[in-house]
Amino acid sequence: MAWYDDIVECLAVQEISLVTYVPDSSLDRVVTLLEKSSWCEVVHATREEEAVGIAAGAYAAGRRASTFMQSSGLGNCIGALTSLCIPYRIPLPLFMNLRGDLDEEIPVQVLMGRSARPILDTIGIPNFVVDKTDEVLPKTLGALKLCYASRNPVAICLTRQLHGGKTLGTV
Amino acid sequence: MERYSAIRRLISSLEDEPVVANLGPTSIELWNAGHREQNFYTNGAMGLCSSIALGVALSVNSKVISLDGDGSLLMNLGSLSTIGRARPKNLIIVVWDNEQWGQTGHQPSHTAKGTDLESVARGCGIVKTATVDDLEELSEVFVRALHEDGPWLIVAKIEETGYLPLKVFQPDLTLYRFRRSVGSVDDE
Repeated sequence: MAWYDDIVECLAVQEISLVTYVPDSSLDRVVTLLEKSSWCEVVHATREEEAVGIAAGAYAAGRRASTFMQSSGLGNCIGALTSLCIPYRIPLPLFMNLRGDLDEEIPVQVLMGRSARPILDTIGIPNFVVDKTDEVLPKTLGALKLCYASRNPVAICLTRQLHGGKTLGTV
Repeated sequence: MERYSAIRRLISSLEDEPVVANLGPTSIELWNAGHREQNFYTNGAMGLCSSIALGVALSVNSKVISLDGDGSLLMNLGSLSTIGRARPKNLIIVVWDNEQWGQTGHQPSHTAKGTDLESVARGCGIVKTATVDDLEELSEVFVRALHEDGPWLIVAKIEETGYLPLKVFQPDLTLYRFRRSVGSVDDE
């Protein structure tokens, strides 16, 4: 199975039935599958902070939710993570396209991409890099288990080595 | 119209519907007006009150009420666009609009200088909207919103008066109570 099939399977296993999302060309492959599914709803948000808020509200109502974003969007949702998810103990799995690593072509993606994991470490969000196809299932399942056991957000960082980067356009 | 008396009036129309309250005075006044497990008090995350309420609304069948504020909603106007796209029938947003940032020195907000939040909501595809500045009018439109499909956005113009004593909420306890009552999940 492809990496995106594995992620869909992990979400299904953990009964995550809502994904809030700010578009990303790589994670879109997962979203496309979810939108065809009968068990997972996708909400398109205008900004990552809002996406985190919607997912937090769903969890508060008893439904598991996840937020998808690109690493550049982490900067847009630090407040939501530090003043909502973490103090309220909302376990939110974040799936992040991690930019700024091998083969990065876009200058403005480098700093935030390279800073994303140190920032996550600083605010106490465990984060795991997944850059090989055979790591997707074990690392994602393990990260989700940790997320719900600790009732804290975790980040699953998917790299270009895994998903091949952007195929459309140049942004 | 004063927010505290308006909150007391609104919650008198409720049964078990979840309420998400904006940070600061709105959460404190909701607590004092009538604490219940279905109240989600926000302490931080300014701007996310109606986004949290959207997440709740997408996950339950009952009506869900967001008690937001002008300064907070202005921080996240995109949330209205998302609500206009998702169109949850069960979401009611009441925006307490005092046209100022009351907690930081009463600086005039953008609603005092030209922004009309009802028009913004309509422009985002939220068609059930109202602007009210009187308690009876608010009560009437709120009861209508409880019975008619939404999403609804009601701008309630208020006068900023005094504040109740500060109350500090324990976020994890708010979540625990809310999940137990609204989500039927016992995290204990």
